[in-house]
Amino acid sequence: MKLKEIDRTAMQAWSPALQHPIYLATGTSAQQLDATFSTSASLEIFELDLSDPSLDMKSYCGVFVSRRYHKLIWGPHSMTTGESVSGVLIAGGENGNIILYDPAKIIAGDAEVIIAQKDKHTGPVRALDVNIFQTNLVASGANESEIYIWDLNNFATPMTPGVKTQPLEDVSCIAWNRQVQHILASASPSGRATVWDLRKNEPIIKVSDHNNRMHCSGLAWHPDIATQMVLASEDDRLPVIQMWDLRFASSPLRVLENHTRGVLAIAWSMADPELLLSCGKDAKILCSNPNTGEVLYELPTNTQWCFDIQWCPRNPAVLSAASFDGRISVYSIMGGSADGLRQKQVDQLSSSFGNLDPFGTGQPLPPLQLPQQTASQSVILPLKKPPKWIRRPVGASFSFGGKLVTFENTKAQQQPGIDQQQQRHHVYVSQVVTEKEFLARSNQLQEAVRSEGFVSYCQNKIDMAQADFERSVWAFLKVNFEEDSRVKYLELLGYRKEDLRKKVNVLESCVKYIFANTLSSASKCFLHESKASTTREILSFKSRLKLENPDETQSCLDVDGLITQALLTGNFESAVDLCLHDNRMADAIILAIAGGQELLSRTQEKYFAKMQSKITRLITAVVTKNWKEIVQSCDLQNWREALAAVLTYARPEEFAALCDLLGNRLESEGDSLLQTQACLCYICAGNVEKLVACWTKAQDGNSPLSLQDLIEKVVILRKAVQLTQAVDPNAVGALLAEKMSQYANLLAAQGSIAAALTFLPANTNQVHDPPPFFFPVCFLSVLTGSLQAEICVEAEREMKLAPSVMKLLTESLLFSPFVAYQATQQYSFGTGGPAVYQPQQPITAPASASYPNPAPNPTHPYLPSAPSHTMPSPLYPGQPQPSPTSLNPASSFPLPPSGASFQHGRPGPPATSVAYALPTGSTGTLPATSDLPASQRTGLRLNGGRASREGRTFCLLTQGYVCVFSFHRMTWKSLICSVFQHVQALPTEKITKKPIPEEHLILKTTFEALIQRCLLSASDPQTKRKLDDANKRLEFLYDKLREQTLSPTIISGLHNIVKSIETRSYMEGLNIHTHIVSTSNFSETSAFMPVLKVVLTQANKLGV
Amino acid sequence: MIHDAQMDYYGTRLATCSSDRSVKIFDVRNGGQILIADLRGHEGPVWQVAWAHPMYGNILASCSYDRKVIIWKEENGTWEKTYEYTGHDSSVNSVCWAPHDYGLILACGSSDGAISLLSYTGDGQWEVKKISNAHTIGCNAVSWAPAVVPGSLIEQPSGQKPNYIKRFASGGCDNLVKIWKEEDGQWKEEQKLEAHSDWVRDVAWAPSIGLPTSTIASCSQDGRVFIWTCDDASGNSWSPKLLHKFTDVVWHVSWSITANILAVSGGDNKVTLWKESVDGLWACISDVNKGQGGVSAITEGQQNEQ
Repeated sequence: MKLKEIDRTAMQAWSPALQHPIYLATGTSAQQLDATFSTSASLEIFELDLSDPSLDMKSYCGVFVSRRYHKLIWGPHSMTTGESVSGVLIAGGENGNIILYDPAKIIAGDAEVIIAQKDKHTGPVRALDVNIFQTNLVASGANESEIYIWDLNNFATPMTPGVKTQPLEDVSCIAWNRQVQHILASASPSGRATVWDLRKNEPIIKVSDHNNRMHCSGLAWHPDIATQMVLASEDDRLPVIQMWDLRFASSPLRVLENHTRGVLAIAWSMADPELLLSCGKDAKILCSNPNTGEVLYELPTNTQWCFDIQWCPRNPAVLSAASFDGRISVYSIMGGSADGLRQKQVDQLSSSFGNLDPFGTGQPLPPLQLPQQTASQSVILPLKKPPKWIRRPVGASFSFGGKLVTFENTKAQQQPGIDQQQQRHHVYVSQVVTEKEFLARSNQLQEAVRSEGFVSYCQNKIDMAQADFERSVWAFLKVNFEEDSRVKYLELLGYRKEDLRKKVNVLESCVKYIFANTLSSASKCFLHESKASTTREILSFKSRLKLENPDETQSCLDVDGLITQALLTGNFESAVDLCLHDNRMADAIILAIAGGQELLSRTQEKYFAKMQSKITRLITAVVTKNWKEIVQSCDLQNWREALAAVLTYARPEEFAALCDLLGNRLESEGDSLLQTQACLCYICAGNVEKLVACWTKAQDGNSPLSLQDLIEKVVILRKAVQLTQAVDPNAVGALLAEKMSQYANLLAAQGSIAAALTFLPANTNQVHDPPPFFFPVCFLSVLTGSLQAEICVEAEREMKLAPSVMKLLTESLLFSPFVAYQATQQYSFGTGGPAVYQPQQPITAPASASYPNPAPNPTHPYLPSAPSHTMPSPLYPGQPQPSPTSLNPASSFPLPPSGASFQHGRPGPPATSVAYALPTGSTGTLPATSDLPASQRTGLRLNGGRASREGRTFCLLTQGYVCVFSFHRMTWKSLICSVFQHVQALPTEKITKKPIPEEHLILKTTFEALIQRCLLSASDPQTKRKLDDANKRLEFLYDKLREQTLSPTIISGLHNIVKSIETRSYMEGLNIHTHIVSTSNFSETSAFMPVLKVVLTQANKLGV
Repeated sequence: MIHDAQMDYYGTRLATCSSDRSVKIFDVRNGGQILIADLRGHEGPVWQVAWAHPMYGNILASCSYDRKVIIWKEENGTWEKTYEYTGHDSSVNSVCWAPHDYGLILACGSSDGAISLLSYTGDGQWEVKKISNAHTIGCNAVSWAPAVVPGSLIEQPSGQKPNYIKRFASGGCDNLVKIWKEEDGQWKEEQKLEAHSDWVRDVAWAPSIGLPTSTIASCSQDGRVFIWTCDDASGNSWSPKLLHKFTDVVWHVSWSITANILAVSGGDNKVTLWKESVDGLWACISDVNKGQGGVSAITEGQQNEQ
C-alpha cells in the first residue's frame, strides 16, 4: 500500500534506525533530466508522519547544491540516542567528490550545512556504504577500481582496502559485511565481486559468474549469515539475483530468476533476513525470500522503472522506491486498503472548490464523486509469509486468581539448509503472590479459626504487638475468650480488685489514724475547756461550729423544733425537707428510710442534687443504677473510669449498649487518640460493626496489611461474640461486608481462592451495595473442587444470603444452571435495610404478561444459546411474544429503569427462561416501579409466586423463573430479580411435549411415587415444600428423557437408582447418584441430579 | 512458535495459538493439562486468542495473519467455528472482547490500519462496523475500557441509569495510542496519545476497581512502557508516565485483575512485574521465574512451524 509520495527525481536515504521521527533525504539524481533540462540540484529532507493520512510528506527547506548526486546515504555517525536529528548525510557526487552534510542543520534551515567535502575520486562516486559496527567508517567506490575507506573522525586522508583490482573498472556497488566488521565487498558492472579483508589490506576472494554476463547493479550481504551475499544483474539477458556463499564460492548457491528484465536495485531487510526487495526494468518491485527464492510479494506499482529502492531502517514495514517518472513513493509491505487515502484526496479535491455553497442553494454540495477503481486494485494483499517483526515471541497475561500465564519462544538458532529445529514451546502458569506477609498472616488467622485456638492467637498477637494500643486491643480481644471477662477487662483498665482492696485498707487505716488524731485533739481541747462552765463552753463550741455555716445560725434552734413537730405529726416528708434544708443529710436519709421507698429515692435525688463533690456522681450512679447518665456525661478523659464502672455494675443486658454509647462518644470526639480508644469499648461491647467503622476511620490506607490488621480483629471478635452472645453468626453489617469482600478479593487475587470463599460475607443485615467481588462465588467453589459440597450445604442450611452473595449467585446463574438451580431452593434472603425494595404482594391473579420494556434493543448482542443454556428459540423481550408459553400469566414483573432484557434459555421446558436486563437500553419510567422512590428501585426484587415472608424475605421459586437483572450504575451495583412460577403456563406446553419413551417411563413413575410417599410421611411444611419443588423440577429430567438427549451412562445410572428405590436402599441410590454426578458432564445433569439427591436424602431420612 | 496464551474467565481452561495455524484449548483444572480441542481453520499464524465472558457460553475468538478472525464456540462439548470474519485486507493482529455489559462485541485490529467491531445481533448474525485508517500501516493492539463509570465507588448516585460510554484503546505502527469512543452508534477518535517513538506493540486498559482514574498501559518497539492516566470524567486529559525503558522491544503488557500489578513481557524473553508504590512511582517487584511455585506448567512439545 502506498503511504506517501514525493515528486522528485532523486536519490534517497532514510534516516538511521535510531532517529525519531523518521526522515527521508533526497538528493537530485545525476544522469537524469526532466523536461525542463534543469541541471540545478538540491538536497531535501522530508518527515515521514504516519499519523497524517495524506500522501504528502512534510518537507524541510532543502538546500541548493552545486552538484547532483550518484549516491546518497545517511549514517548514524556521532549519533546519540535519538532525540535530536543527527547522523551524517554522505553524498557521492558527479565529479568524484564526497560531501558530508549535517542533516540537523538542514532541518533547522541553516545556511551552512556542509561538514566536509573531499575531491579524491576520479569519476562519479556511485557506491557508498557505512560500516555498521564502526559508524565512522565509510567506504566509497568510483571509476578505475578506486575504493577508499574514509574515517569521519579524520576525514582528510582516506585509506585503501588494498591494491586496486585489475583490470581497472568502475565500482558500482560497495557493501560492508553485516557480521564481521573488517570485511568489505565491492562489485563492478562487469559482474565481478571482490571481498576485501581490511586487516590484511587485500582482496581475499573474487566471485564471478563463469559466463560473464552478470552486470552487477546491486550487492548486499546477508544480515545474519556472514558468508552469504547476493548480487543483482542489470543485464536483460541475465535478469537474475545470485546468492553466493563464500564457503562454496565456485558457483552461486541460488539464483533468483523472478524478474523478466534487468534488476536495477536490491535491498535486504535488516529486520527480517527472509525479505529481499528488488526492482527491475520490467517495472516490478518484488519482495522475495533469498533463502528459498520464493516471491513473497509484488508491490503494486505504476509502469515506470524504479532505479533505487530502500528499506526504512526504523519502521520495518516501510520502504521507498524512486522511479524514473520523477517520483519517490513510500510503501507499506503490510498490505491494506488505500480507500481511506483516496477518500482523503477526494475530500481535498472537493473542498478545494469551496463546496460549502457555491450555488447559494442553502445546502453544501455533496463531496465530489471520483470514478471508483475496481476493488482488486484498492485491496492490496500483504506478504505471503508473516514478517519476522510481527511474530510475537513472548507474552504474559494475568488471569483469575493472580495466575500469570507466560510463554516464550527461545530464539531459534536457525541455520540455512537445516530443517526447523524441533523446538519445545512452553506455556507456564505461575501464581503471582505479591503480598506474602498478608497471605502468611491470613493463613495464621484461618488456622486459628479452624483450631479455635483463639486465646493463644491473641496472646501471640499481644507478644508481637509493636504499639501499646495494638497490644491493648489484642488483650481486650483475648479477654473475650476467658472466663469472668468483665473482671479481666477491669484489670486491663487498671482496676485490679486486690489492688483496690489493698489501697482501701491503707486509706482506711490512714483515715482512722487521722480521725483518731483529730478526735484526741478535739477531745483534749474539749476537756481542757470544760473546766469552765460546762454549758457555756458547750454553747461556744457549738457556735464555733456554727460559724462555718453562718447563714443558718439563726434558724438553727428553730429547725430542731420544727423537725420535732413534723416527726411528732408523722410528716416524714416535711421532716426530711427540713433536715435537708438544714443540711442534716444523715438525718434526712435516716428519716427517709423510715418514710418509705418513694421518699427515700426522692431524698437520694435531692441529696445528690445538693452534694457537688467529685465522687458524688459516681455514688449517684451506683445508687440509682443510672449508668447511662454517667456514660453520657462523663469527662471523656476519664473514659477508663467510666468503662470500669460499667464493667463492674452494669447489668448484662445493658452492658453492651453502654459500652457502645461510650464508644460512640469517644469516637465522635475530635481527639484521634480517644477515637482509637473507642475500639476498646466496641470490643467490650462485642460490636463488630462499630469496631470496623471505628477502625477504618482511625487507620487510613487501603493496603492489604492494614486490611489484614482489621480482619484479624474482626474475625476474632466475631468468634468471641458467637461464644458469649447468642447472635446470628452470619450477620454481617454493610461496612464489614464491604471489608470482607475486599479481603476476599485480595485473597483471590493472590491465589488463595478457597480462603477467599470462606471470607465472603454471607449475609448483611443492612442492604447496601457492597463492592463487587470480582469472581462469581460458585466458580470459586468449582476451583476449590468442592462445588457440590459448598453449594449444597448452603442450600440445605437455607442460610440467609446477603445481597452480595445473591448477586454472585444470580451472576453465576448466568453461567451455571446448577448453581442457579440451587439458588432456587427456597433461599430466604436477609434483607431489610432502607434500600430494599419491599416486594409487593405477590400477584396471584393471572394478569396478562407484560414486559414493560421501554427500549427494546433489537441489536442486543447475545448469543441466543449458550451451551449450558440451550433453548430452541431465544426470546427477546420487547419483540412481540409469539408463543403463549412465553407469556407469563403468573405475574407481571417490572423491568428495571434501564435496559433491554435478554431471555436466556435454560435446559428444560421452553417456558423456562431467564431474562437478563442489561443496562444498555434507554431510560424510561415503568408502570410497576414508577410509584416507588428511586432509591427503592435499586434493591432486590424477587417476586415470588408463593407468599413471601414478612415482606422482607423472598422465596425464590423454581420450575421456571425469570431473573431480571438490572444495574443502576454498574453491573454489580444492584439488580432486580424477579422469580416466579410458570405453573400456570405448563398446561399449554404439555400439549406439545413428546411422550417419554416407554422404557424410561419407569423412572418418572418411580420418582413421582417416591415423592408422594415422602410427602405423605413428611410432617413439616418445609420438607413438603422442598418435595413439591423437587417434583416439579424433575420435569427437567423428564423433558430430557422425552428429547432423548441423555447419555446412556446417565440413563443406566438412573435406572440403577430406580432399582435401589424399589428395594428402599436409598443410601445405595445416593451412592449411585454420586457416581453419576462425578462421571457425567456437569451441564448435562445439573438441572435434575441435585433434585434427585434431595429426594433420595429425604426418603432416606423419612424412611418411607 | 506460540504467540498467545490466555486463560478463560475462571482460570480453568487455557487457549494457546501458534504459528502452526492452530488454536489449542487445554483443561488446566487442578494443575492438570488435558488437550480439549485443536482448532483448525486459520491459514496462517494465529496471533491472538480472546475468551468471551462466560455468560455468553464458551466462546473464543482468534485472529491470524491470514486476515481472518474466527469465532469458535463450544456446543455440547465440541468446539466449532461459529463465525468467520474476512473483512480485513491484512494480518489481524489483535482481538479483544468488550466488557460483557455491552453484549458480545469484538474489536479487531489489523495491519491494514483498520479496526473492526463485530457485534452479535442474535440468530448467528454479526454486525460489522469498521474504522478505516485507524492507524497507518497497522493496528497492533486493541483493549477495551472497563464498563464502569470512573469513580462510581466514590460517588453514589442512586437509581440512575449508568452512564456507560463505550471506549477502547488501540496502538499501532504510527507510534500512537488512540482512544475511541462510541457516539450515537458511530466510533470516533477521542484521543491521540503521543509519547512512543516507535510502533506501539500493545495497549492494556486497566480493569476498574471503582477509582476515579482511568489507566492505560502501552508498550512499544522503542522499549518504553508508558502508564497513561486520566482523572477527569470527560476523559480528555491523559498524562503519560514512563514506567521503564527496556533495552529491547516490549511486546506485551497485562494487568492483574485487581489492576495493581502490570506484567511486562519483552523481546529479551523476560517477564517483569511492576507495581505502583504509594508515592506514584512504578517499581519492578519481580522477574517471573517461570513455573516456579506455579500451579502447573504446560509443555507443548514439538510444535513445528509451518
